[in-house]
Amino acid sequence: METRKVLVADDEIHIVQVVAMKLRNNGFEVITADNGIDAYDRCCVEKPDIVVTDYQMPGMTGIELVEKLRSTEGFEDIPVIILTARGFAIEQDQQEDLNIAEYLSKPFSPKELLSHVENILKSSAVS
Amino acid sequence: MMFNKQYYPLILGMSLIVLFVILVIPLGGTSIMESIVSLAAIGVVIWLGQQFLLKTKMFLVQIESLKLDYKEQRDKASQCSKDAKDSKLQVKLLQRQKRNTEAIVYSISEAVIVTDANEHLLMANEAAGRLFGFDLKKSVYKPLDELIGKKELISLIVKTRNSRARHVKHELQFESEDNIYTYNCIISCIYDENNEVCGAIAVLHDMTKEKEISQMKNDFVSHVSHELKTPLASITAYSEMLVDGEAADEKMREEFYSIIQTQAQRLNCLIEDILNVSRIESGMIKINKEPVSTALLIHDAVQMIKSHAAEKGVTIEEQTAIVFDQVNADKEMISQVIINLLSNAVKYTHKGGKITVNSEIDESEDVVRVSITDTGVGIPPENLPHIFEKFYRVKKNAGIAKGTGLGLNLVKQIVEKVHQGRVFVRSQVGKGSCFGFELPLIVAEETVESDLVIRSK
Repeated sequence: METRKVLVADDEIHIVQVVAMKLRNNGFEVITADNGIDAYDRCCVEKPDIVVTDYQMPGMTGIELVEKLRSTEGFEDIPVIILTARGFAIEQDQQEDLNIAEYLSKPFSPKELLSHVENILKSSAVS
Repeated sequence: MMFNKQYYPLILGMSLIVLFVILVIPLGGTSIMESIVSLAAIGVVIWLGQQFLLKTKMFLVQIESLKLDYKEQRDKASQCSKDAKDSKLQVKLLQRQKRNTEAIVYSISEAVIVTDANEHLLMANEAAGRLFGFDLKKSVYKPLDELIGKKELISLIVKTRNSRARHVKHELQFESEDNIYTYNCIISCIYDENNEVCGAIAVLHDMTKEKEISQMKNDFVSHVSHELKTPLASITAYSEMLVDGEAADEKMREEFYSIIQTQAQRLNCLIEDILNVSRIESGMIKINKEPVSTALLIHDAVQMIKSHAAEKGVTIEEQTAIVFDQVNADKEMISQVIINLLSNAVKYTHKGGKITVNSEIDESEDVVRVSITDTGVGIPPENLPHIFEKFYRVKKNAGIAKGTGLGLNLVKQIVEKVHQGRVFVRSQVGKGSCFGFELPLIVAEETVESDLVIRSK
């Protein structure tokens, strides 16, 4: 079975490490970035199957990253999971417009995140 | 033909006289007839008397009636005079009430506009005049179109009046050269005695400040939530990994424990910072002021930070020669100020950089001035005016180091609110920053007093 590639972007190094470890332990290939700009560049080079990104990052926010990806050829439909520690959730409309697959509020469970990644990749493979 | 009863005696008398003339006189029965005629004459006299009495009675009744009419007319005249007096009084009362109403309307800080059914101004107060820029004295009965540039408000007044709604609430924005003001506008219909809408009253409340405070509250909650959740996310995730046995070996487990511990401390520091800012703002903090040497406090703080700076390859130099009690201050709080400024300098200075801590006495201003100068990344000029604001972080530098955006605000609160000092900052992008503060020097009498207090203790 082909190894699926996940890009994890967060400016909190501990979060990146723990998410990456959980995914790697479960057979995923993980690439990481600690800011939005780097995340976009790595996406273009590595072409991941799914992106897990923090909402609030220096340089480029998670939403700005998704907006840029959506306007880039080859990433129009890439599944995205947004992690956030913000007090207020993003607008439902914005979530739908940007086709954000899942929106997880911090603190989150790595197990729960893993299950979302697996389910989203499964359903995207079927469609 | 029927006769009225009052004429019966007259008819009887006249009949007897006629009978006497036709029957008795030709027969010669004079004496009897004379008696009858006499009786008839008496009857006629009685009737005439009766008529006279009746007429007299009627005349008296008419006089009585005239008397009553006269009294009634006199009463009416008196009532009219009283009414006229009352009317004058009522006019005066109404004028006074109008003046009172105007005084009340004028004294309202909210802008108030009263219009008639054709959108002509009936009344407005000074606040409305100021807001819309019209002269109150020259504006009454003028069409609103000529007085108010904000057409949206006029159309809202018309719409409310047409809808006959009792109260309608709107939010209106007014732009000036330097700001956008938000007004809460309540328009109410005015009804006449027939329950017809005869005008409208608009009250405009400036809620710009309230909006700003509300926005600040939301930002505060959002910031606090973000700052609290971030370390909590690490603690939760690493705990779960430990519980699930995801750590490969003992070394990794120890690393996880260490991360959890560090993040818990971070959480605690953040909560302490929030509480300290809140305590200072509300005046609930316990302050222990005593004569303090800033030079000694600087030295202690530098010793504390030095190893952390050395790990990063940053050197710290002290330039504080004078060591004596210069300021009346809370030692712990001023230490916290110096540590916050020093640790910020270390955070934003690259490897090989230098931090200089200087303290000097400015006798012309009676202050001790402490400055911490680094060769770090610097702050863009547009960010400098906000740098001491709560939760404010320079976006450009946010990726360089972690921070809550509370440290510098705490510095400002401690220096300015608790010690009546002053904070300052100078910076140049790419060259470095200089953060510092001034505290008032202890004047001679104050030192003596403090000494006495200390000795007496």
